[in-house]
Amino acid sequence: MILLALAAALPGVFWDGAPDTAPALREAGIQRIFVPTAQAGAWKSVDGISAEAADLLKSIKLRPPAANYRYDEASASRVPWLDVNGWHFLRQPQGRYWYDVAGAKAPLAAAEAFAWGASAMVKPNAAGLKPLGEMLSFLAGIETPTMQPVADFGFIDDGTATAGEVMNLLVRHSLLFRAVRVPDPKLKLNVQLGTKKYPLEQAKNPGAMAQIIRADLTDDNRSVRIYGSAVVVGRLESAPGRLRVHLINYDASRKVNGMRVRVLGEYSKPRLAAAGSPDLALQDYAVLSGATEFTLPELKTYAVIDLLK
Amino acid sequence: MPGPYPGQAVRVHSEKSIDAASGKVDRETVRQMLSAGIRALTGDARDDDAWARFISPKDVVGIKINCSGAPRIRSSPELVGAIADRLVAVGVPPAQIWIYERFQNQVVTVPYRDFVPQAVHIVAAESDRGSILGYDPKVYVETNFFGEEDTRSNLIRIVSETLTKIINVPNMKEHQASGVTGCLKNIAYGNFSNVARSHRNEKTNTYSFIGTLAAVEPVRSRVVLGVMDGLAGVWHAGPFSNNPRFRFYPKEIMIGTDPVAIDRQLIDIIEAKRKSEGAISIFNQSREILGDNRDPNKNAYIREPGHVEYASKLGLGVYDQAKIQVKRIEL
Repeated sequence: MILLALAAALPGVFWDGAPDTAPALREAGIQRIFVPTAQAGAWKSVDGISAEAADLLKSIKLRPPAANYRYDEASASRVPWLDVNGWHFLRQPQGRYWYDVAGAKAPLAAAEAFAWGASAMVKPNAAGLKPLGEMLSFLAGIETPTMQPVADFGFIDDGTATAGEVMNLLVRHSLLFRAVRVPDPKLKLNVQLGTKKYPLEQAKNPGAMAQIIRADLTDDNRSVRIYGSAVVVGRLESAPGRLRVHLINYDASRKVNGMRVRVLGEYSKPRLAAAGSPDLALQDYAVLSGATEFTLPELKTYAVIDLLK
Repeated sequence: MPGPYPGQAVRVHSEKSIDAASGKVDRETVRQMLSAGIRALTGDARDDDAWARFISPKDVVGIKINCSGAPRIRSSPELVGAIADRLVAVGVPPAQIWIYERFQNQVVTVPYRDFVPQAVHIVAAESDRGSILGYDPKVYVETNFFGEEDTRSNLIRIVSETLTKIINVPNMKEHQASGVTGCLKNIAYGNFSNVARSHRNEKTNTYSFIGTLAAVEPVRSRVVLGVMDGLAGVWHAGPFSNNPRFRFYPKEIMIGTDPVAIDRQLIDIIEAKRKSEGAISIFNQSREILGDNRDPNKNAYIREPGHVEYASKLGLGVYDQAKIQVKRIEL
């Protein structure tokens, strides 16, 4: 039963290659795939690969996660644009998603879906198969206890494109919120666009609106802060006495050489799992008054840090 | 800072110090300039007595170089080598001397290794540009300028954990954002991470941020001497030196313990050079100056040379020229 639950949490692999591509899958360590309905029969007889029919048209296609530096465009900031799909998952947690991704973006997509607990399929190209297999193997090794997403404020999602884009900018800044229908008094702040405090006119600049919300929340009240990288997004989950920090590097082409992470709460026992860096250890770990800080020396694509009291 | 000689600056000039055509520095002349300058500052007859006022054999000494205009305009290896030699002469083991900068890709363009004993460390905080690992996570200034996500600027780790004294060796340069870049900026922006975030579009927050960083402990108390390298300089489009047209050759070094007093002289030097070139003042803050800085009357930012005076208000030194004693030496 536990094994089934773990398997369900992992992103699936959608593969439209013919059965004669099975050796490439085996080499990548992939034993379970989703295939177009028309090919399901042909895959039934392939040894060592379990194939299940899936219809991509019934799933929501996501943008490949990425960091776009846009060197060829003038901008007011040197901060890269991140393509992050977290807001989709927060808007439709029960949605079924899929990615069409190439190369190193395949493991990144898998990590993103896993970090948000999304039900997703990843359709890699040939170059992405092996790194995707490695990432899935890594993800399979992470225990998935029952934990709740950490939210610092509620965002009243009316389902509009404007609200969606503000949610997108909030996620990119690791501003942790819960999409709600009505204000939740248990949260530090509730945000509703179209009110005097958060006018729709200002929401037309979603970046500026995200800054207004950030200022109202205050940085001191943010459950997670990331210093030293503009391409890493963080997400938190919690259970009594325990906090899980997900860190995703959206620049799949380059590892991040060091970042400092601050979370609210005092946790004395850290446990790190970093994809592709099995021997990595946290540095300069500090339990401060009401907060915990540590340095992650490198981040290739994805890391999970469990903090225990 | 401002140390035992507030409101003082010693300017040593020698026509022989550098050949402007080739950029070749006369090592022996630079040694003599350094010697004359430190003795004039302290009043001591012997170099060792003068240096011993600032450095003891037990110290671990950092030499904060400036390589932002490298390879052409940088803390000259001849001058840095001469300083290292004086440190060794007063008993500091070479292994206790650290030449350091922020960016490895700039440092490696300058042949410091050829001018110092082998055991001297030559290091950069960022071997990989943007990496935070060379900085101390415990010592930082946190402020939000433009809504940037990373609001911390951390101190270079060897400054907080290893060095006991620092000798500041900036260049003589105009700076597109701060107006000039001398002692204050080299010890402020040159010692902390994530400082470029203080500029966006034409706005720069250098006015207050430079002094704020320079005043952070232990930086403030560990910087004991400034030796400004003015053999060559930049009078426009600094701190870089991509355009030879904007290089100039003051052929001097300036020594003191008061970074404000030295930078106050630097302002006059840059202003005089710009005036002689027909360029606008660095104090011109009109929006009309904004534009392509290949034109010396245009600039990318509204400059903030007032940062030097601001630093004086933090107690880092003397800004009023009437209260600054300048000793001039010609070799």
